[in-house]
Amino acid sequence: MADNEFNDFDAFFPRAVTQKLGMVMSGSLSKGLEVKLDPSAPIEEMAVGRYVIIEGEQLKFFGMITDVALDNTNPQIEKTPPDVSDPFLREVYAGISTFGRIHISPMLVLDQAAEEPRPVKTIPGHFSLVRAADEDDVNMVFGAEDEQHFHIGEPLDMENVQVNLDLVRMVERSVGIFGKSGTGKSFLTRLLLAGVIKRRAAVSLIFDMHNDYGWEVQSENRTPVKGLKQLFPQQVAIFTLDEASSRRRKVRPDFTVVLDWSDIQPEDLEMLRVTLDLSDQMIGAAYSLRRAWGRGWIKQLLEADKDTIDLLVEGTTINRSSLDALSRRLERLTRFEFLRDSWKGDSAQKIIDYLDKGITVVLEFGRYGNSLEAYILVANYLTRRIHQMYVERVEQALGDAAQEPQQLMIVIEEAHKFLDPQIARQTIFGTIARELRKYNVTLLIVDQRPSGIDEEVMSQIGTRVTALLDNERDIAAVLTGVSGAGALREVLARLDTKQQALIMGHAVPMPVVIQTRSYDANFYAAMGFQDETALRAGRSTRVNLLRGEREEGID
Amino acid sequence: MTTALPIGWVLRASTVGFTVGCRVLQPSVPQFGDLVKVPVSDGMSVFGLIYNVQVQDDPAVRQLILVGEMEPEAVLDQRENRLVPIEISVLVVGYQRDKQIFQGLPPQPPLSLDVLILGSDADIRAFTKNLDYFRLVLNSPQIPGDEVLVTHLRRAAEVQPPETQRQFLLNAGRELARLLNFDLVRLDNILRRIRPMSS
Repeated sequence: MADNEFNDFDAFFPRAVTQKLGMVMSGSLSKGLEVKLDPSAPIEEMAVGRYVIIEGEQLKFFGMITDVALDNTNPQIEKTPPDVSDPFLREVYAGISTFGRIHISPMLVLDQAAEEPRPVKTIPGHFSLVRAADEDDVNMVFGAEDEQHFHIGEPLDMENVQVNLDLVRMVERSVGIFGKSGTGKSFLTRLLLAGVIKRRAAVSLIFDMHNDYGWEVQSENRTPVKGLKQLFPQQVAIFTLDEASSRRRKVRPDFTVVLDWSDIQPEDLEMLRVTLDLSDQMIGAAYSLRRAWGRGWIKQLLEADKDTIDLLVEGTTINRSSLDALSRRLERLTRFEFLRDSWKGDSAQKIIDYLDKGITVVLEFGRYGNSLEAYILVANYLTRRIHQMYVERVEQALGDAAQEPQQLMIVIEEAHKFLDPQIARQTIFGTIARELRKYNVTLLIVDQRPSGIDEEVMSQIGTRVTALLDNERDIAAVLTGVSGAGALREVLARLDTKQQALIMGHAVPMPVVIQTRSYDANFYAAMGFQDETALRAGRSTRVNLLRGEREEGID
Repeated sequence: MTTALPIGWVLRASTVGFTVGCRVLQPSVPQFGDLVKVPVSDGMSVFGLIYNVQVQDDPAVRQLILVGEMEPEAVLDQRENRLVPIEISVLVVGYQRDKQIFQGLPPQPPLSLDVLILGSDADIRAFTKNLDYFRLVLNSPQIPGDEVLVTHLRRAAEVQPPETQRQFLLNAGRELARLLNFDLVRLDNILRRIRPMSS
């Protein structure tokens, strides 16, 4: 009965003809399906990453084009091609003797009876019809935008369809944003963070190396775009390491972060092993110095005269040359003005105070953004402290979810410097990545060299958002542990350099190539941002109401 | 092309083909490659394509040639009052029963002296809606199948409505491409000869 009504409706308002692409000729679940293209389907419109529907006899499969190829029924035609200057001959041969072939990775089974798409566990039979997925199909897979789902972009060539990320699932595990330089990683990160803040999925601590997230950023075409603080003034606080830089950029920071020399411990130097070129002997000397001099060992070393050093060497097993080398290298840290003597404040605690109120903290590095040593040192120190506090609180909560601190996502850039295979096992970031959601702290790592990140850490990343990568090792690293990786490799290597990304993992039901949402006035409005004019108009209306004017529509 | 005049009568027949004898060739009929049909019993008609027309000698012709001088009256008399019939060879490609056309070999061949008539334009349009008979033509030994098909298709295209003539030839070309995929030289040769003049 319902069907008849539907058909009658269609007679008056016919739906667009769904484009037939071809039919399944061969394939397997593990390697994907080979589809012979219909002569009416132009091969040049078959872009990798595009979605298709395969109509099986009983099931409807949702898949993605992962390769496009030319084929023929007789290889001889490659040696003696026909006279294609004649349109008639060309039309006869095309689609019959020569034809296009597409490779499809079946991803999901769309079952009208089931609430959500199911993972694919079988494949459609021979000659199953393949057609382009329409808006209804894609919406069925990615669901509607709601309190948990955030609109991140559109599938390729489907402007009216939204791809929505499940933010709650996303923040439960670590997230990776990868892409070669200039592919819009910061833009993607800002987009995701805006979603996380808007939906209150987690609170974030952002180590903002190049001042990309806080107040205002210059886009590539030199126009200013709004940072997170402008979009969410009540939910974002800007901390800075370099107050002068913030002031120059007309940013009013909420807090200036200062560290005491005694905050820096040998564990922090482990992270700087490569950046400061520290040997095992030097690290060993640092531990010995702390034992000998206590927490203020660095400052004491830097200020020590020759006699003090001589005395120390005589009284301990520390090697003199290692000590001298360590001293020379630590000398480089003295140019950081955020390291001070006898500082009584506690920057880590201040950050925690804000995070506890559900306020995301953007820590701007100002001029220190160009110094990898400063970035690693500060990020490592603060993360170590904050993580420790989270561990203690979660343990105190004894499994009572209401007592546990809010989910925290720590954002780091140049992540391979923190998660290098040689140091990832010892550093706090390696620990956070490995222990998953146990202590309500996860990472959002932004990086252009995923191959430099420890394999074990990569395998623990739940959601991967990847812009264009062209280095084979980087592509392989991003696809580690992903089923159907071979097919996705082609997709990944052919993304546009701008505003396109492949998302896979925990937050999406299947790998998806998206045209990312534009970060423009419409986006600001969707995030609830009101410009000055709108705010002023709103204020004057409210003022007039207070003066006794009646509001329209209200009796 | 629309004439339904009898062309001749069946001399010999088998399921796969038959030979028809006629007295004289009219100026335009029958022609090589024409679709013809033989109405047989029980409302059934057998369709075929002419693949050969053979004019055999007889004693009178031999004597005339030996005389040397050909009087026009003698030539005309010889042509109109032949001692042996002109033979038209037909390849069977389908049959019609109860207004339904089947492409393939009929259950029974025509019998001697059944009448051969030229297929009408409507017959050609109806028969060529389906192109399964190409395979029979191309696979028949000892007949010039390629030539028969080329001539037949050009003529069949002419009786299609002008707006569908190109599409008809395109469909025929694609069917040929499927069947002759293994022999691209042969396929190319046929396609070049059936392509529309305007293409």
